[in-house]
Amino acid sequence: MLVYTIKRLLALIPTLLAASILVFLFIHLIPGDPAAILLGDTATPEEVAALTREMGLDEPIWKQYLLWLGNVLQGDLGTSVFFREPVLKVIGSGAETSILLATMTMVWIVLFGIPIGIVSATKHGTWVDQVTSGGAMLFASIPTFWLGLYLILIFAVGLGWFPSSGFPSVSDDGGWTNLRYLILPSLTLAAPNAALIIRLVRASMLDVAREDHVRTARAKGLHPAKVAIKHIFRNALIAVAAAFGFTFAALVSEAVVTETVFSLPGIGRLVVQSILRRDYPVIQGVILVIVVLYMVINLLVDLAYARLDPRVSLK
Amino acid sequence: MNLKTWSKSAVAGLALMALSGTAWADGMMRYATVGEPPSLDQHVVTSDLATTIAHHMFEGLYTFNAANAPVGLLAAGETISDDGKTITISLREGVKFHNGQDMTSADVVASLNRWGEHGSRGGLLFGNVAGVEATGDHEVTITLNEPFGPWKNLMAFINGGPAIYPASVMEAAGKEPIAPENYIGTGPYKFSEWQPNRHVELVRFEDYASPDGAADGYAGERKAEFDTLRFIPVPDVGTRVSGLKAGDYDYAESIPGDLYADLDADNGVTTILNGGPIFGLVFMNSKDGPLQDNFALRRAIQTAIDKTPALQVAIGPEGLWRANGSFLPEGNIWHTDSGAENFSMGNAEKAKSMAKEAGYDGEPIKFMVSTNYPFHYDKAIVYTKQLAQAGFNIDLQVYDWATLIEKRAQPDQWDLFFTHHGFVPDPILISVMNDNYPGWWTTDEKAALKAKFTASSDPAERQAIWSEIQALIYEQVPTMKTGDVYTYNIASPDLKGLGEATLIWPHFWNVSK
Repeated sequence: MLVYTIKRLLALIPTLLAASILVFLFIHLIPGDPAAILLGDTATPEEVAALTREMGLDEPIWKQYLLWLGNVLQGDLGTSVFFREPVLKVIGSGAETSILLATMTMVWIVLFGIPIGIVSATKHGTWVDQVTSGGAMLFASIPTFWLGLYLILIFAVGLGWFPSSGFPSVSDDGGWTNLRYLILPSLTLAAPNAALIIRLVRASMLDVAREDHVRTARAKGLHPAKVAIKHIFRNALIAVAAAFGFTFAALVSEAVVTETVFSLPGIGRLVVQSILRRDYPVIQGVILVIVVLYMVINLLVDLAYARLDPRVSLK
Repeated sequence: MNLKTWSKSAVAGLALMALSGTAWADGMMRYATVGEPPSLDQHVVTSDLATTIAHHMFEGLYTFNAANAPVGLLAAGETISDDGKTITISLREGVKFHNGQDMTSADVVASLNRWGEHGSRGGLLFGNVAGVEATGDHEVTITLNEPFGPWKNLMAFINGGPAIYPASVMEAAGKEPIAPENYIGTGPYKFSEWQPNRHVELVRFEDYASPDGAADGYAGERKAEFDTLRFIPVPDVGTRVSGLKAGDYDYAESIPGDLYADLDADNGVTTILNGGPIFGLVFMNSKDGPLQDNFALRRAIQTAIDKTPALQVAIGPEGLWRANGSFLPEGNIWHTDSGAENFSMGNAEKAKSMAKEAGYDGEPIKFMVSTNYPFHYDKAIVYTKQLAQAGFNIDLQVYDWATLIEKRAQPDQWDLFFTHHGFVPDPILISVMNDNYPGWWTTDEKAALKAKFTASSDPAERQAIWSEIQALIYEQVPTMKTGDVYTYNIASPDLKGLGEATLIWPHFWNVSK
């Protein structure tokens, strides 16, 4: 297992190189000049050219890439053109929000998605199944911006239970109680994702329920609940584990709509705004971090398979 | 911990988190912005959002009172020589920078020189400045090549204007905006921190030396009532409005016109109109393409367009816009109707025959617009339709703002582009007066009138020359004004001291809750 893990970690390197070359090429292909944006309306072409030179953006693209790569290998992702802060610091501040938000969302998904999925599968074909499946379809179809705005209207403006938007760092005044800022956004994000998990748990459990070992367990006279949890759910979990992994990665990197509605300083919004500002170092840095995140989660999911299913062997 | 006690403490924890939401002290003013400014360096950045934040930290020698007249801020007074070429400014004594240093003439000279060389609007004045020198610890003398009428207005306009920084900061500064650690000014609030995507925070400057006199516009007494001003980017307008109603923000900017009637009737919200309107501009290319020097063709385009329907579509309620052809609004000393009869004719037939006479043969006219500003795009759609009805072949090119900025710097890429302009207290500050601004309007007629306009110091004479310039704009059409838009912001009714309207940028000295 250790050898396997090390092999997989080494395989990260060529993937990262390929991803970084693609990102570098794409952002330099789109028009727009960071120097012109930074200097604003009244800058003369000479001033823009001078700053472009100063930022090293007049060099050939392969040279810029090698320079950037050399710095990255030394742990330096560069400096944000817009914030004039180290890229690592800018990403770190966004990552705090995104990781806490994704974690809280996963908690809701586990709390709601799995039990409802199990109930839906065990009551297959009854009205309970129809209500839960119908509800899951409804929540999977509601756009997050709409749900988010309504949650704000009801729970922040109407009832005043939670803050409407923003997220002060947990290292700021308020400490961990600042997590209350993430309750409404995490519920917003959890709704469609929990709905998908409900459908997935239900479908996988129904698949497993048809297998021979389940019939044997039932024939032995085991309690139906024990059959459902130990014999069916345990085996259905393999498919669900993969979904959990990728849902988490997507929640960290792609929650841009929810982050915008709740004005959260997360990674998703950072990427979109950095693209609009042509903040090359931040775009490159964030994409690199997201690629690493996906690959690490992919690895963890594979490792989890081996734990969950003794038939899987990792070499 | 078993499951039961765990779930009990989780519920208690959630309840506690919900309740502690109201724990904000009254000492903080929370302002919901549309986004983040590119920098707060006032010399080089002309973003209105930057000034809204920065004018609490940085001050210039002059500022504007409620009547938009320039009055002293860091300057105590000035004398002007009889030939109008030597201006001697005495500085207020006892003014401290946020780093504890006294402000002296050395700081003022260094700041003016950096602004003159690299500042966004500095070249306008410094093209005519022979030298700036310290003629005493608290006295600065500016020598001009020729008398220059708008010098005080330029000095008082802090947006892209001459904020006074310490000489030590200025010595290392070039065209690039200064870094946040160098945000050292003399204002009632000082820089605290900038957390990317989270907030920009200013805190009260305890050693602030306020100017004397009753508060009047930006002039007079400035008192920092809040401990902290926090500017929070909230990009979604629905969230800005909800957040203000929920009590999470005290002030929210840039609210769309279609919400105005509801918000104005809502007792939980105060609406504040901006006194200085912004106006959309469609620039024409004077360097390249079919419109380059064909003024008759430009006038044909101008004749085809009716501005009112575009304003109705893009802005909404009538109280928030005015189809006004004068570049400065009614009630302002620079308001003039000269040339404005051509502002919004909307005569497709006449335009068609004018275009034919001007030699237009249906070649495509490239019109660039950005969807980053929805009102640009909405108006451009209406204009494109009107121009098509008058026989023009408009190639509408829709970009994001960053792309548009790059393309408009290249004369072969466009014929028309849409932008907008903030209210300015002196017409010399309007972008079309700048020869280097994309569009590059540099005709001899403009140069002659501009020289007369800046040389004169007599207000009545300057107003008369401005009327001639405005008439020339309608004749040579370097740009088309698209009408005045009165933007508005919303505030919590708990905020005291805001007044009925803002001049240009809202300010929060003398404001409390």
